Amino acid sequence: MGLIPDFKKIATRSPWLYRINAGSCNGCDVEMAVTALIPRYDVERLGCQYCGSPKHADIVLISGPLTVRVKDAVLRLYDEIPDPKVTVAVGVCPISGGIFRESYAVLAPIDQYIPVDVNVPGCPPRPQAIIAGVAKAIDIWRERL
Amino acid sequence: MNFLSLFARNLKSGPQVEAFPFGPAFTPDRLRGRIVFNADHCEGCRICERVCPANAIRFAKTPDGMTFDCWHNTCVFCGNCEFYCPTDAIHQTNDWNLAHTQAEKFDMVEHGLIPNQKCVECGATALNTAPMVKNAKPPLSETEYAEVRARCPKCRAKYLKNRKVPS
Repeated sequence: MGLIPDFKKIATRSPWLYRINAGSCNGCDVEMAVTALIPRYDVERLGCQYCGSPKHADIVLISGPLTVRVKDAVLRLYDEIPDPKVTVAVGVCPISGGIFRESYAVLAPIDQYIPVDVNVPGCPPRPQAIIAGVAKAIDIWRERL
Repeated sequence: MNFLSLFARNLKSGPQVEAFPFGPAFTPDRLRGRIVFNADHCEGCRICERVCPANAIRFAKTPDGMTFDCWHNTCVFCGNCEFYCPTDAIHQTNDWNLAHTQAEKFDMVEHGLIPNQKCVECGATALNTAPMVKNAKPPLSETEYAEVRARCPKCRAKYLKNRKVPS
């Protein structure tokens, strides 16, 4: 019987990524797609894979400054993701608002609404920086399991 | 046969994947990344604060002097500050690895202090900024530069005006 818990420990080590666009300009989304899709910056080496449904996700990558219009949809999507989840804020916008800070249409920083665990600043960040952020998020995620 | 030649080439050249999380990453020398500030060279003109599109740069007057803060979490790496800086006090390094946990969020700041000093001539308190002597002719020698720097702005102007220029 002792073997099964050990086996479960080994088996639960592949977090799935999910992307939320909270009103981003698409720059960070392109970089996030690049980290995963092209073989040059292969994020699947870390055991990650992009998934299309929030119900399968373990690590959430959020880009964009959380515009007023998209806020309800983002919060609803975020609630659909099962615990334990790790949130990564990608780009300067969700962290502080960047150049959109203090705009009437923007609710940045995003950590007022969503608990953020890892920040990856940059406008947009390099693919390698996003991979570094994902690697940090995986460490946090393993602690929470 | 095409497959065999590709196979041979791949065996020779190895994988094309960036090694990054497990090895060093390729970084171009002129990549626009994290900002560094050198308070010794700063003239105190605050043009960087003015041209910064994201308001990442803030100057503040404190009892010790003038502080400089650049928030990396707001900076968009546009390079305006470096471009407009008249004395090369602000630079962009090619450091891009800024990913950090939420606990470190408010440590991501480049801090600098331009200290106060007492003017050696009139004794007034003024900032120890780098003097604006780029266009002085003939160029200042090192001792002259140190003398100008130890003065307040008014005495600096007086010093430069009364400077003996060999004709």
